[in-house]
Amino acid sequence: MTPLAASRLTLTGIGLLVLLVVATGHGSSAMPPLRVIAALLGEGTRMDEVIVWTLRLPRICLAVLCGMALALAGALLQRVTRNPMAAPSILGVTDGAAFGVVAFLWVFSDAGNSLTVSIHWQPMAAALGAFAFAGIVAVMVRLDPAGKGPLRMILYGVALAALAKAMVTLMMILGPVYRASQALTWITGSVGAAHWSDVMILAAGLLLCVPVLWLMRHDLRQLSLDPESAFSSGLSTGRSQAAFLALSVLLTALAVSQVGAVGFIGLIAPHAARLLHGQFTPGYLASTALIGGALLLGADTLARTVAPPLELPAGALTALVGAPLFLWLLMKGRAVHA
Amino acid sequence: MQDAKLLTKTIGNVNRPTMTHPLPAHLLWLFLTLAISAAASLHLGLTVYDPATVLGALRGGDETEASLIIATLRVPRTLIAMTTGAALALSGLLMQTVTRNPLAEPGLLGINAGAAFAVTIGVTLFGMSGLFAIGLLALCGAVAATALVFGIALSVGPAAAPANTLLAGVTVAAMLGSLTQVMLLIDETAMESLLFWLMGGFADRGIGPLWIGVPVLTLGLAGTLLLAPALDALRLDDDSARSIGVHVAATRLAALGLGALLAAGAVAMAGPVVFLGLVAPHLARRICGPTPSVASHALLACLLGATLAVLADIVARLIVAPGEAPIGAVLALIGVPVLVALLRKRAEVAL
Repeated sequence: MTPLAASRLTLTGIGLLVLLVVATGHGSSAMPPLRVIAALLGEGTRMDEVIVWTLRLPRICLAVLCGMALALAGALLQRVTRNPMAAPSILGVTDGAAFGVVAFLWVFSDAGNSLTVSIHWQPMAAALGAFAFAGIVAVMVRLDPAGKGPLRMILYGVALAALAKAMVTLMMILGPVYRASQALTWITGSVGAAHWSDVMILAAGLLLCVPVLWLMRHDLRQLSLDPESAFSSGLSTGRSQAAFLALSVLLTALAVSQVGAVGFIGLIAPHAARLLHGQFTPGYLASTALIGGALLLGADTLARTVAPPLELPAGALTALVGAPLFLWLLMKGRAVHA
Repeated sequence: MQDAKLLTKTIGNVNRPTMTHPLPAHLLWLFLTLAISAAASLHLGLTVYDPATVLGALRGGDETEASLIIATLRVPRTLIAMTTGAALALSGLLMQTVTRNPLAEPGLLGINAGAAFAVTIGVTLFGMSGLFAIGLLALCGAVAATALVFGIALSVGPAAAPANTLLAGVTVAAMLGSLTQVMLLIDETAMESLLFWLMGGFADRGIGPLWIGVPVLTLGLAGTLLLAPALDALRLDDDSARSIGVHVAATRLAALGLGALLAAGAVAMAGPVVFLGLVAPHLARRICGPTPSVASHALLACLLGATLAVLADIVARLIVAPGEAPIGAVLALIGVPVLVALLRKRAEVAL
């Protein structure tokens, strides 16, 4: 890594840390950054430490980690599909995962409205739903008489996402109220209720992905070549594409099972990282993850502080940034046909 | 091979006996279907009434609970469903014809979302209320969203127009939906009433919205029939339309304006409802062949849209009884397969 790239990456990391401290300070009782840092380091008052460590930090860590997972998923999808407009929420993966979660809550709750199996199966259900919808989109693109254009994939994704959303809504109403309130967060996404155990699951999942990405980093780079060159440079294109797709779907499912269907992070973060670093530098994925974490954290913090006690879903705010970006990409046009 | 297939297809369509005298027969049976659906809509629901009760309620006079429910709840929602469905179908048809894009539809293109956003702004920021103000706001929003979406799609270039218009529309709809959510936070009292309306649906809206819906639908239908010859000519391509004396730009603007007006009327009545404008014209095309004249296509699409809306409304109140499913979720179950089928048609959505 060149010194310049390294320093940019460090700056992004520092930016995320600053945001983290600011976000921890914001809330119903505001705390200046110094008190937050003191509490984080275990030097603050008892009261501050309770607020920081048990009330705010789980939610903040969850937002950062989910943002990272969604951003990485987006970066992988864009690389594998060679389509700068691809993102888990646009290809129907996010809503598929949400469908998996709601279906899980629906099937496995008893008459008393409590779950009959452990809630920790929820990420598994999200993964199943995400894989199912990603698979349907892939099959539709493959069967499409017009061939595999980058736009076709997105069109089918948009259609399937609408279907998944409708099924989520219907299932929420079909189920008792308890399920609806549990499932409600998955419509637009929210990191409202967070516990350290959720954070641990997510962190473990992300940590598992890192060595895989590291081992396959050359494949990922070769994939950005055109198909022929990638093949002739010794890459087994199909296999690595499948592997990265699976990884991307898993990361999405992991995030969605915790915070719901937050859209557009997987679209915004890779593009922001590309602006900062260029997409072929070693720091690209790392900075994508950092930016994704910062994005979701920023959106969630805004969402809970803009009009207390009401809370916006974080997904509403990410859409405000992501939708114009998508339109801009669409208008740039040429990139899509590359 | 492909050409031969296409040729047989075309010949098949020309030979289809329904091409010469199809319209009255089609209109008749569609009208009957609509009448049966509407009658079913009065009978079915959380409590199912027998025909005698329904007839009694329609005649008025008796003050039983049953006739009260039928007269004040079921009749209005059936009428609103019919008007909204017809308006959205017509709006979708106009947009599809004028842009030669089978995917155009006020819901998917974000035009309903634009109308809903404008109404939300008016209510939360300026405290506007009243049916007329809401209708006017919806119209402003719908026109602005139409201009925005088609403007974006045009700037992308005509090569991939249908797909780009759809993507631009879906994204604009997502953005406007988010903005609407943000606006709702400003005024909590408005939020209560707006949230219900923003869900989209035909229930519990009273008979009042028809004062907007019926004139808008009448105006839209009359305008469409007036524009029909020019629209027929536009279906080929701009140059041949121009050569037979059609003002291409003016016709296109007028038709898009009518489409926006119809969508605004529908949104003012029932909130944003998606997919109806996509499915109804498509089904109409299935019934009367791929290239019906615009006038007959419009009539068929209106009837089909009204029928679909009433049927979807019946499904919405039956599948999750005693609750009510949002009409958008029910319509998506029909609309998505139609959308996918349209995407798979190579000839129409060439990329």
